[in-house]
Amino acid sequence: MAESKPRMIFLGPQHPGAPGNVAFKVWLKGEKVVKAELVPGFLHRGFEKMMENRWWEVDVVLSPRYCVEDPDNFELAYVLAVEDLFGVEAPEKAKVVRTIVAEMSRIQSHLFWLMHMGGATGARYIPGWAMAAREEILKWYDYVTGHRIYHHYMTPGGIRWNIPKDFKEVTLRALNKVMPIVKDIEDAFINNRILRARTEGIGVVKGYVAVQLNATGPTLRAAGIKYDVRKVDPYEAYRDVDFEIPTGTEGDAHDRIVVRIREIYQSKRIIEQLVERVKPEDLNYRVKMPLLPPPSLPWPAVARHGEGMSRVEAARGEAMVHVVGIKDRKPYRVKLITPSMPLLTTVMDYIIEHEDITIADLPIIVMSLDPCPPDIDR
Amino acid sequence: MALKALLLGMKYLFRKPYTMLVPEKEPPMTTERTRGRHLLDMSKCVGCRMCQMVCPADAIKMYKVEGDFKRNPKKIFPGIDFNRCTFCALCVEVCPTGALSMTDITGWYMTTTDTRTNLRSPYDLAAELAKNEKPDFRITITKQTFLYQTKKKG
Repeated sequence: MAESKPRMIFLGPQHPGAPGNVAFKVWLKGEKVVKAELVPGFLHRGFEKMMENRWWEVDVVLSPRYCVEDPDNFELAYVLAVEDLFGVEAPEKAKVVRTIVAEMSRIQSHLFWLMHMGGATGARYIPGWAMAAREEILKWYDYVTGHRIYHHYMTPGGIRWNIPKDFKEVTLRALNKVMPIVKDIEDAFINNRILRARTEGIGVVKGYVAVQLNATGPTLRAAGIKYDVRKVDPYEAYRDVDFEIPTGTEGDAHDRIVVRIREIYQSKRIIEQLVERVKPEDLNYRVKMPLLPPPSLPWPAVARHGEGMSRVEAARGEAMVHVVGIKDRKPYRVKLITPSMPLLTTVMDYIIEHEDITIADLPIIVMSLDPCPPDIDR
Repeated sequence: MALKALLLGMKYLFRKPYTMLVPEKEPPMTTERTRGRHLLDMSKCVGCRMCQMVCPADAIKMYKVEGDFKRNPKKIFPGIDFNRCTFCALCVEVCPTGALSMTDITGWYMTTTDTRTNLRSPYDLAAELAKNEKPDFRITITKQTFLYQTKKKG
């Protein structure tokens, strides 16, 4: 039979195998995937431009919204960049509480990803369990911050409200409800023979190649490289907490799954250490920043000229925010660097080029990379 | 290993479902801090427009309201379009007189016409206001209608 030409099909954005609001153009030869091209832009809202048209402290409301699944780490990145520009340091209590909130966000993001991963592999029982565990964290968020998904709890200079009186008990109770479910998922899903057969040896990105492909986060750590911004360049309260960086050895899809599960345990460890250090009666949780103008003037009394930069370890990798101020009430420029873009472009291309993968493997590889389409589009 | 997964599945099979029937069986999940519908104390509002300036979603417009408001000579009050509002509470934070506050009325409660809830129809409330000689009330204004809400005592 004559060699046929590759056939192009669209995967997504409404396909259960697609990670959300992105599509792929997939070229197939029979069942084999020859090439996959990312089609982003379905969720482009122009955050960088929108942020230029709002006040410094108002942009906090926009900053979590470019990644639905892991809002607080991105909020923290923006807040840290603004603090860097204005030369303000948040009080110790605010730093600790922000770290707890960011770690909770990491746990809920990984649980959300577990739902996708279970869906992609056809393990229909996992989404229900993972979302039930995530719900406990969302309830905790509602109790502490007042909202479930986008919290707007941080602000340049601290946190917006004091923590509730029974913060420690509520936090530990939420963790104690989540962790047994994570353990069950680990037993029933991660060590499951079917999942191992479908994920082991697939989507291998190993060693230094991951650095060259610009991958960060769990994908990089599963490749065997011990890199975590929380350890390399500690921010907030990560300096004085004791935790490990889980790494993989093979760099395949299964390693990435295991690394994320182990990260949930490490996040729990961080929260348990930090929760002892915050006291609700301590009222020093917010420093007044020179942001608000007196009501009679349309511009602030103090404005900054310069730039601020921050980077944080979000659930999907390194997020960076660069802000430029020109003595104005509003930022001159906000540049967001988010972790998901390389995962679906360079890493995906590398995997497809170096491996024989079929159309059935594609959703598993995409989900194991855990991209967040909103932060690609912004 | 396979047996273990099966046993775990059985464990979850005999459990009560996690799903809750909101609002049929259980009330919406709100806490003390839940940020919901706004309340405006019209006796405190000075019409400074700070809430309008700070709003990230551009949901607040100033409306002129007739009446005797000593602290508000321009007689302009914020009206919040709940179709745009993100409930970030920046307007509450920025309000210099503390006139704006937030309730825990969210989601379903905001849209319902159910008489059992604390949200009453604007016509009923307006009629009630007209009866009182010295009305002690708070107001929230949406795009289309003025919704009056009586101030809870105590």
